[in-house]
Amino acid sequence: MSTTSSTNSVALDSVSARCQLLTTSRHILPIVAVFALLAVSWQFAAIRPGVLFQPATAAAIWNFVARLFPPDLSPNFLRTVLQATAQTIATAIAGTLLSIAFALPIGILATGTLWNRGVLGAANNGVAYKLGWAANRLARTLLGFVRAVPDLVWALLFVAAVGLGSLAGTLALSVAYGGVLGRVYADVFEHVDPQPLEALQSTGATRMQIFLRGVWPQALPHLMAYSLYSFECCVRAAAVLGFVGAGGIGYEISVSMRLFEYGQVLTLLLVFIMLLTLTDAVSRYLRAHSFHRTDRVRELTKQRKSSNVRQFVSKSRRLVAWVSVLSVTAASFALAGFTPGTLIQAGLVTRLTDFVRRMLPPDLSWAFVSSLGTALLQTISISLIGTLIGMALAVVLAVPATSTLIFVRSDSPGKRGIFERALRSFLFWSSRLVLNILRSIPELVWVLICIIAVGIGPFAGTIALGLHTAGVLGKLYAETMEEVPMRPVEALRSLGARPPQLLLWAIWPQARPLLSSYTVLRWETNLRASTILGLLGGGGLGQAIYNNVQLGFYPRLSTLILIVYALVLTSDWIGERLRLRVA
Amino acid sequence: MIYSLDRVTKFFPQWREPVQALSSVTLQVHPGEQIALLGQSGAGKTTLFRLLNATLRPSAGSVFFDGHDTACLSGSGLRAMRKRVGTIYQQHNLVPSLSALQNTLCGALGRMSLLATLRGVLQPTKADSELALQALEQVGLSDKRAARAAELSGGQQQRLAVARVLMQSPDVILADEPTASLDPELAEAMTSLLSGLARDARKTLIMAVHKVDLATRHFPRVVGLRAGGLSFDVPPSEVRGELLNTLYARNGNLTGESDVDHFQYKLRCAR
Repeated sequence: MSTTSSTNSVALDSVSARCQLLTTSRHILPIVAVFALLAVSWQFAAIRPGVLFQPATAAAIWNFVARLFPPDLSPNFLRTVLQATAQTIATAIAGTLLSIAFALPIGILATGTLWNRGVLGAANNGVAYKLGWAANRLARTLLGFVRAVPDLVWALLFVAAVGLGSLAGTLALSVAYGGVLGRVYADVFEHVDPQPLEALQSTGATRMQIFLRGVWPQALPHLMAYSLYSFECCVRAAAVLGFVGAGGIGYEISVSMRLFEYGQVLTLLLVFIMLLTLTDAVSRYLRAHSFHRTDRVRELTKQRKSSNVRQFVSKSRRLVAWVSVLSVTAASFALAGFTPGTLIQAGLVTRLTDFVRRMLPPDLSWAFVSSLGTALLQTISISLIGTLIGMALAVVLAVPATSTLIFVRSDSPGKRGIFERALRSFLFWSSRLVLNILRSIPELVWVLICIIAVGIGPFAGTIALGLHTAGVLGKLYAETMEEVPMRPVEALRSLGARPPQLLLWAIWPQARPLLSSYTVLRWETNLRASTILGLLGGGGLGQAIYNNVQLGFYPRLSTLILIVYALVLTSDWIGERLRLRVA
Repeated sequence: MIYSLDRVTKFFPQWREPVQALSSVTLQVHPGEQIALLGQSGAGKTTLFRLLNATLRPSAGSVFFDGHDTACLSGSGLRAMRKRVGTIYQQHNLVPSLSALQNTLCGALGRMSLLATLRGVLQPTKADSELALQALEQVGLSDKRAARAAELSGGQQQRLAVARVLMQSPDVILADEPTASLDPELAEAMTSLLSGLARDARKTLIMAVHKVDLATRHFPRVVGLRAGGLSFDVPPSEVRGELLNTLYARNGNLTGESDVDHFQYKLRCAR
């Protein structure tokens, strides 16, 4: 009896230990706050779940889906598709190359260790040091700003400045991804091994020599890898930028959408997905190739040393490679609208400076700024509710998409009927398929589809964001749960736990930190995305951006861009703190 | 007869050729028996345990548990069998991010209904949490109940794994070298805890032991495993030099694997 009473008191002590799985009492306040926030957001994002279940909505969706088929494969249209695809690829290539050219100098300027920290900074004092410091700060701020403005907004600006077409798209890509790459390059330069730099400095090398001989060789493989990755992003973006008139596949999709030619839309979407898959495969191949290249080349040259013929072959092969790279580059620039003729005709520089002059100064009158309050709250609400919808759908889809939960090891005991096995495979593969479809169709296409179903407005934007997020997060969730250490899971299975119990007691506790940080990261991305959904009728700040571009109110446009910048900075700050907390 | 193994053989498919982990092992275990398992690393002890707790299915031969062929069990029958077998693993296999108390509660998952599990995530029933606390007290971890498993030392994790088995209260306890990571005193204490427990509650205990003296002092039956086959099966008084010499002699590369290969193979099996 005495032992029971003692354990009773122990049990009382350990209430907090017991409920740690989901909540403890100190978490209640934040939870209440989150629910209040969501309730307000629900209001601002104009969520009307009732609309989804109206017969008219179902009819609109059915009408859309029915008219998607058959895809339009007429030769005439296919020619248009081919042209648009070539233009998209060309824009992506030219945009990537220009963004690298833009990112390198700024990235070098933004590298703290080259100017004011570490070995090189400590050696200098006086005017040169202060100049370097100022340049460094300036470069970092510029990169931060360029990165914060979404690529689609850049495209809209360039379309307004230089007119419709892929020239605007290329410029937008080079600026937007130049910002991203510049930051990445700076990070890479900062994280090289400092010991060789110190050694070089002690021999009296100049800053330039240290950079070329010490920093650059160490950084190069990383720079290549990130630039390749950036190219993948550029292909995706190049296809999407067309929605605001920057040419390529996106432009064709939006035109076909407006003409209600849904068969054409399906063809374009299929081509788009194929293009993405292909880019993915190519860059994976290139990455695998370049990682092993140095070793292999050394080996090959060792083998080939004797043979002159072979040397000639390898030389000519290199020549062919260079010629083809150059011609692809030239063709890309030409297709992307960068012929010398158009550049002079368009008067690119004067047009751009003229446009910038018209944007300044930003319209900071109280009447205008206060009118943006609703749009701002709408944008934030869309991002929150959209992420929430995405999370909910992702959880539902990720569980059947987790192979370790759905399938059992082939050599574990237990008879499994053919029917059960078929059911399991069906569940797994169908959920994977749904996730892939949700993920590979960009938010902006989802916006267009959702507008058909529920009409223009923040609700459409929210659903669109939710659907795309569900695809992205669902895949991440499923992969994270699959990669959880399996020993504890097997241990619980071997003591008689069922799959749902394994999920709750072994997989979820182990995967939770990673899942939360992915979700927070996705929310940050979604906040950026929700500022541009309005460009296509998805509500929020994008709507205001679009209207003011159309009306030519450029000073207001620059105010809006400043607001987006502030919003993104804030979300970065909040996201970083949240991720520190959940990790 | 709680376990009856009939010419059990286990292959693991491998890239070039299958690795034979167990070859034609025949073994009978009566309820309430306590058996020490001796053998070099790589002798197939872990594979044997994984066959006994129905994590693996034999490649040939059959494992009967209480009269049922484990390879033929499925669904609720399989879970009912697994519920009656508790395993203490070499690597403990606790859920690192759960508290000691929650890890202990995991032992009861087999007898919780799904609804109770959902509720148990938030707030386990009073009866369950009392049982779990008792189990923790029994292994001397009640002051660590709120600590996460990952924060515990190796020895404490080992005791926590024992607490999970106590919570499960199975008919059979399988212990795969639970003393390997402990210093001699703790190993002694752990062995006597487990064998005493099994004796008092009339549970079957099969324990892999890495020290011969632990086996001979605590167990009435000692089984030697060598290169995947049974080497001997005798009372402790008969465990003598020549038996041990054959058991621990550097084997003549019977399975054709080096130590490194063996390590990798073991890693793979553990997944």
